[in-house]
Amino acid sequence: MMQEALKSSPASVAIRYSGVSFSYESGEAPALDRVSLDVRRGERLGILGPNGGGKSTLLKLTLGLLRGYSGTIEVEGLAPVEAAKRRLIGYVPQRVEAELAFPITARHAASMAATAGLGPFARSSGAEARVERALSVVGAASFADRPVGLLSGGQMQRVMIARALASDAKILLLDEPTVGIDPAGQKQFAELIQRLHDELALTTIVVSHDLRTVAATSDRVACLARTLHYHDSPEGLTPHVLAEVFRHDAAAIFGDLHVDAHRASECGHDHSHGHSHEHPRERGNGSHGTQSKSGGGGS
Amino acid sequence: MKTIEYLTTPGLREIFLPGVIAGLAIALFGGVLSVFVVMKRMAFIGQGISHAAFGGIGVAYVLGFGAAAAGGTGASVLGGQFLIVFLFCLLAALQVGMLTGGDPGRRGKRAQADTAIGIVLVASMAIGSLLLHIAEKRGRVSTVSWESLLFGSIVSVSEADAWACVIVGALILAILFAVRRPLTFWAFDESAAAAFGVNTRAMRVTLLVLLALATVTAMKLAGVVLATAMLVLPAAAAVQFSADARRVCVLSVVFALVGVALGMLLSFELDWPTGASIVLVLAGMFGVGWVKGRMWHRAAAR
Repeated sequence: MMQEALKSSPASVAIRYSGVSFSYESGEAPALDRVSLDVRRGERLGILGPNGGGKSTLLKLTLGLLRGYSGTIEVEGLAPVEAAKRRLIGYVPQRVEAELAFPITARHAASMAATAGLGPFARSSGAEARVERALSVVGAASFADRPVGLLSGGQMQRVMIARALASDAKILLLDEPTVGIDPAGQKQFAELIQRLHDELALTTIVVSHDLRTVAATSDRVACLARTLHYHDSPEGLTPHVLAEVFRHDAAAIFGDLHVDAHRASECGHDHSHGHSHEHPRERGNGSHGTQSKSGGGGS
Repeated sequence: MKTIEYLTTPGLREIFLPGVIAGLAIALFGGVLSVFVVMKRMAFIGQGISHAAFGGIGVAYVLGFGAAAAGGTGASVLGGQFLIVFLFCLLAALQVGMLTGGDPGRRGKRAQADTAIGIVLVASMAIGSLLLHIAEKRGRVSTVSWESLLFGSIVSVSEADAWACVIVGALILAILFAVRRPLTFWAFDESAAAAFGVNTRAMRVTLLVLLALATVTAMKLAGVVLATAMLVLPAAAAVQFSADARRVCVLSVVFALVGVALGMLLSFELDWPTGASIVLVLAGMFGVGWVKGRMWHRAAAR
C-alpha cells in the first residue's frame, strides 16, 4: 500500500500509531477507528479535527491515560504508560484543567513535572536549575513568583510549557493551546513553538479544532474525525478535505470557503463532485451528522 | 490559672496531660494533612469518613471492645477498637474516594459521589447508634457516653491514646514527606500528573488511607463530629494568608497548634467542652483570615 511505502524508518519516528482503534463502551461506535500515523522526530505536527472527532481520545491514549485500545502505539518504541513513567512526552493541557485556586506560585507549578520523580531525600537543585532555564526560555521569568490564580491565560500556558520543558521531554504535546488566548497571545504562541522547534529541536504536536492554530504551528497536518483522513502539509488542506473532516460542521464553520459539506461527505475524495455543487448557505443538519462514514445514504 | 494546676498537680496531671499531648500531636499531622484535604476539596469526604467511624464504634462495642471508651485502658481492648474503627473508615474512604476520582481519562461518575457520601454518612450513623443501643442492652458496656463519642472528651484520652496519636502522627508525617512531590502534582493537576508518570491512583489511595487513619486517631479527643474539623480548618485558614504552598503548609501547622493550645486553655479555664473550644478557635481564625483576605483583595483591586 502507498501508506506502508511512505512510512519512515523507526529511527526517525517519535510516535508510531498502527491501526489504533478505541471504544469507550464495548459495542458502542468507536471513538477512533484504525488510525495509523507516524510522528517524525523533530517535526511540527498539527492534529486537526472537529469536537467529538477523537482528538482528545487519541491524546489520552498517547499519554497513557486511557487503556484498552487495539492496535499499537509506540512512543520512542515504548508503550504509552511506560513512556509516561519516563516523562518522554511533555504534555501541555488546556488551561481549564488545573486547579487555579491552588495556593502555589507559577515557579512551583512549572517545577512539578521535573521534581515529581525525585525520591523523598533527593536534592532538587538540578531540577530547579532546569525550571529556571525553562521559565526564561518561554518568557515566564518575570511572573514566576506570582500565584497561578492571578495569571492570564497566555501566561499560564507559558508556565505549562515551561513545566513540560523542565521535565526534559523531547516531544511536546499541546491540547487546544489557543482556547481562551487572545489574538496577540496566539501569535506569540506560534512564535514560541517555532522557536522551541528551531532552538531545542523538539517534536511538537498541536491538537486543535481550530484551523488557524494548526496552520500557524505545523509543518504537517493530520485530520482526525474518528479515522485519519489526511496527513500532509497545511497548504494541501483543501476545502474539500476540511469538508470531509468536519462534515456538516464545515458548512457552518467554513461557510466562506464555499464548502458543500453535504456533497463532500457523499462523494468521498472525488474532487470534481465536491466543486460542482456549491451550496454555501446550507447549514449542518444534525441527523445527517450521526451517520457513519460509509453509510452515506442521507440523500 | 486552672491550666497550670491541671497539668502539674499529681492525680490531675494523669487525667489531663495525655489529652494535651494527643491534641498537639493531632494538630501537627492535622495541620499538614489538611493542606491536601483543602486543595483536593475532600472536606466532605472527610466528613463521610468520620461518620463511618461511628458505625465502626458500634461494631466494636457490640463485639466487646468498648470498655476503653468507658474508662478502661486495656491495650488489647483499645487496639481492637482502633482496628475495627479504622477498617470501617478505610472501607468508607476507599469506596467514596474511588467514586469521586476514577481514572482521569474515563468519563467519571463524579455526580454520584456527592449522594454516595451523604448516604454513607447517615447510614453509618444509624448503624452506629443501633449497635451502641444493642451493646448497652446486652450489658457489653455500662453506659454509652454519647456526648463523648460525638464531640470527644479530653478526660477520656488515656496514656495509650496519647501514644497512639504520637506514633500515628509520626507515621502520617513520614508518609506525607515521602510522597510530597507527586502528591502535590496530583492534587494540582491530576491528568497532567498522570501524563508525567505520577501514579494517580496510588496518590488518591494514599491520601484516603491517611485521612482514615487521621480521623480515627483524632476521634478520641474531638469526637466523630469534630474530628474532621482538625483536618480541614487549619489549611482553610492558612490559604487566606498565603498563595505559596510551602508557606501555607507551615501556617496551617502553626494555626492548628495555636488552635489546639488556645482551645484547651479556654476549655480548662472556662470549663468548656474541649472539642468544641478547639473547633471554635480554629473557625475564628478562619473567619479573621477570610475578612482580612476580603479587605486585602479589595485593596489590591483598587
